[in-house]
Amino acid sequence: MQPITITLDGREVSGYPGTTILELAKESGIDIPTLCHAPQLTSVGACRVCLVEDERNSTLLASCVTPIASGMVINTHSPRVIERRKTIVKLMLASHPDSCLVCDKGNRCQLRQIASDLGIGLVELQRIPQMASIEEVNPFLERDLSKCILCAKCIRACQELVVEGAIDYFQRGFTTIPATLNNLPLENSECTFCGTCVALCPTGALTEKEKIYRGTTQTVVQTTCPFCGCGCSICLEVKDGHVARITPGKERSVHKGTLCVRGSYGCDFIHSPDRLLKPLVKSNGNFEELSWEEALELVGTQFQRIKDESGCDSLAILGSSKCTNEENYLLQRFARSVLGTNNIDNGGRLYNSASCVGLGSSLGFPGTTNYLSGLEQSELILVIGADPSSSAPAVGYAIKRAVKRQGAKLLLIDPRQTKLLMFAHLWVQPEVGTDVALINGLAKVIIDEGLLDEEFVARSTDNFEAFNEGLKKYTLEYVEETTGVSGQQIRAAARLYARASRAAIVYGTGITQHVTGTDSVKALANLALLTGNIGHKRGGVYALQRENNGQGACDMGTLPIFLPGYQSVVDAQARRKFEESWGVSSPAEPGLTALEIMKQAKKEKIKGMYIVGENPALSFPNSRLIIEILASIDFLVVQDMFLTETAKLANVVLPAASFAEKDGTFTNFEGRVQRVQKAIPPLGESLPDWEIILRLADKIGAPMPYSSPQQVMDEIVDTCQLATYSSYEGNGHTEPEAQSLYQAESSSHWGVGRIHGGQFPKGFARFCPVAYVPPTKAKKGYPFTLLTGGIPNHFGTGSRSSRSTRLKKFSPEAFVEICESDARKLAITVGEKVKVISPVGEVTTIAKITDTLRQGMLFMPVSYPETPVNELFDIVLNSETKAPSLKACSVKIEKL
Amino acid sequence: MNKAKTITKADLARINIIISEYSSQQKWAMIPLLQKIQSEFGFIPPQSVPFIARSLGVFPSQVQGVISFYTQLYTQPRGKKIVRVCRGTACHVRGGKTILKLVKQHLDIEEGETTPDFEYTLETVACIGVCALAPNMVVSDHVHGHMNPKKVEQLFKHQEGEK
Repeated sequence: MQPITITLDGREVSGYPGTTILELAKESGIDIPTLCHAPQLTSVGACRVCLVEDERNSTLLASCVTPIASGMVINTHSPRVIERRKTIVKLMLASHPDSCLVCDKGNRCQLRQIASDLGIGLVELQRIPQMASIEEVNPFLERDLSKCILCAKCIRACQELVVEGAIDYFQRGFTTIPATLNNLPLENSECTFCGTCVALCPTGALTEKEKIYRGTTQTVVQTTCPFCGCGCSICLEVKDGHVARITPGKERSVHKGTLCVRGSYGCDFIHSPDRLLKPLVKSNGNFEELSWEEALELVGTQFQRIKDESGCDSLAILGSSKCTNEENYLLQRFARSVLGTNNIDNGGRLYNSASCVGLGSSLGFPGTTNYLSGLEQSELILVIGADPSSSAPAVGYAIKRAVKRQGAKLLLIDPRQTKLLMFAHLWVQPEVGTDVALINGLAKVIIDEGLLDEEFVARSTDNFEAFNEGLKKYTLEYVEETTGVSGQQIRAAARLYARASRAAIVYGTGITQHVTGTDSVKALANLALLTGNIGHKRGGVYALQRENNGQGACDMGTLPIFLPGYQSVVDAQARRKFEESWGVSSPAEPGLTALEIMKQAKKEKIKGMYIVGENPALSFPNSRLIIEILASIDFLVVQDMFLTETAKLANVVLPAASFAEKDGTFTNFEGRVQRVQKAIPPLGESLPDWEIILRLADKIGAPMPYSSPQQVMDEIVDTCQLATYSSYEGNGHTEPEAQSLYQAESSSHWGVGRIHGGQFPKGFARFCPVAYVPPTKAKKGYPFTLLTGGIPNHFGTGSRSSRSTRLKKFSPEAFVEICESDARKLAITVGEKVKVISPVGEVTTIAKITDTLRQGMLFMPVSYPETPVNELFDIVLNSETKAPSLKACSVKIEKL
Repeated sequence: MNKAKTITKADLARINIIISEYSSQQKWAMIPLLQKIQSEFGFIPPQSVPFIARSLGVFPSQVQGVISFYTQLYTQPRGKKIVRVCRGTACHVRGGKTILKLVKQHLDIEEGETTPDFEYTLETVACIGVCALAPNMVVSDHVHGHMNPKKVEQLFKHQEGEK
């Protein structure tokens, strides 16, 4: 392509064909004001503020939509251009209300900025403000359409980025407004309150509601969202030590300028009045405040006592997939070198270990094989057992964009109807828990019809024969009978997946939290290997993480069998490396996994436990039993931001700081390591987790020689041999533009989207034959299958999201979803109180009738502390990963 | 009387058949499709918008945007006869404003509205091109020139009687 040269404000500049005048001007350092333009949106040329003049024929052009043409002589600031630009802005101001002083947008209003840049004071035009009532009862955003300039940024954000399509232009001429279907209020529309439109709105038409501060914030700190595994970069706007507002971060690789309702409005838990501000100790059943010195002294002596009395392995640590990598690294070092035990696990065990083991054994690397950008360019996306719209919104947006804008096909496999169905090409609805049979069935069709990538299978994989042999049983008839999916659909799905030149697989907790989760993950990996869909720029296997640092916690070795970087604890050579670095010996016996720890605690083999940022009293199955166990432990220390259900059972509670109050890194589901930066000082006397761990080690008399997370990261880089981790760059922690740590996308370690430069870590991947094990038969009298999962407006066990005032206000209570015909049979009406009973527990909640479920199925969200759904689950562990089944169980439902 | 104007399941089924004829997943089919539905039902039932959107691969709000943009497309049922009172300059000078007022009185509806019996829908137009006959109005494509209160009364007499 030949560059085109044009004259821009008297200078000769050149750009490639297709570049707009605006883009070229920006590159050349010339500022052209815009209102309706945003780089991540398609340009529409609606506001005309960006107009420029072509001197050759004196035409006025909207620079955002005019591509450069050779010979153009463009003036961006000639008197004529300025005059016209002024008129346009004055016309906008003439129909704008005089409310700048009280407008929340304040100095961030782009209309006001441009007007003052152009020197517009009083507008001599007759003012005709368009009156509009300020609407919305939702707690998130406020629409004042009298300030709307119809730039359509919100409409494009909704349609192009978030692909929700809740709003579009309505009516025309003077009466035009951006409106929802039937012009209903937002809460009655498709709107998910992701806040993307609010972040883009150039005027005060869309503003955030119910926040702490009004006016201009003082500093902006870029950090990483603490909720789901997507790892969107966010900006914390700070005023007077308060996080006043959250906007999409400038590092756009993950989120493309979007956020979700949790990211935009969920972080007000930081300033919740429930935050723990001082260490607490339990005496006579009540908590009393005490100083850090005393608290750590107490914890130190107690741990030492238990260690001396009953041995190192009577202590156990539960780390958190919500804490930073540095904290997890310190915690596992604390366990191994200070306490001397491998009894350390993290909350990711509940949802992530199936991926770790499944992908680890077949691909050789325990994680997602590609980047989100690769997913967006895939030709086919297979989403199985995942509802990204609620569990990983940024991934949901990417899938929808791929379908809507790139023409990708979506193959949806889910017993429950999710919001992605609208975009699906084919929806396969198997019986709950029959995934392995279905996936094996797909593989067999692919092999039988010769749709496999023979070259890839021969070159890069191993064990194909055994795998093929194992598939013999999975004939169409057998799979049809087991899964309840018609043979025709199975064949169609297999062809759809295999024929796409680049196909991606996305799976979530709907796969990993089943008792057969590990097998399903292996089966999915087999499917990808069979069709050669791993190791390319597009396609791949995407394992969604439920929590912000699920991947990182495992990478950092907060696991009973692995040292950091998945180096086995039984490997003497690996151990030696860490021992040399730490200067102490580390235990060689593999430790206990999370639920084994609980089991041993019940037998009083575990006497002391240190739980950091986890809430097993809610998140573990059979929570009633877990609560009993935790309450009976000799000495329990819980380190958390809030007095969670688990913390209430502790002997000592240590107040931890939130993500906004500390430095470190999170690793998202792609393996992207991103910075977490301190925006405000820790609240009260709370301390960042890393500092507490260091102080505690000091107290026990085994100090660890670090003074900042940066030093910890330097050691991680040294010892872990994980390509994606690298040292912090620079030292400015409060600069909004601070560079993301992440470099792997461009570095040669992983290549662009190819795992290990197109090579599997071991040189080849291995087919792991898996056999279908039918789910255990439901006990008599429990006719319903209960599925549990996340919902968009809450998160995890709800310890943070239920303390976010706006999220809590919008979806205050738990519910159980039931299909209409079942509800009719049981005479259950909407909003009625019902009891959901399983063989091990029962919860009371309200009924909601839905058309997203089939007969005999129920759905309940897990994120409400008042309705502990996990009480209904018995402890059933996967034999390989020891991960509990937490997705589906048999229940009955009764009217109250 | 209203029965014919509420959308039944059968109507929606019929609309879905029309939609299937156009469901090529091509956005350009939207306006012909909307016109076809309107020509059969007299308006585009709002209930059909989600179906239309799905078949064309667009969002319901976008379909609504198109419908509300064009004056030729309606989401409300319309009268059998469309009354268009001219509000052009020549008609205004000759008393068009009063004619409109009288028509409103006789039909007991405002501009853009439809009588409850779906007989008449009242609209105004800027000029119908026969200024020599001002003040003008058009009822179901039939031009009535030199309008005066008496003529208005004659035109809508039966409507008054029904009330």
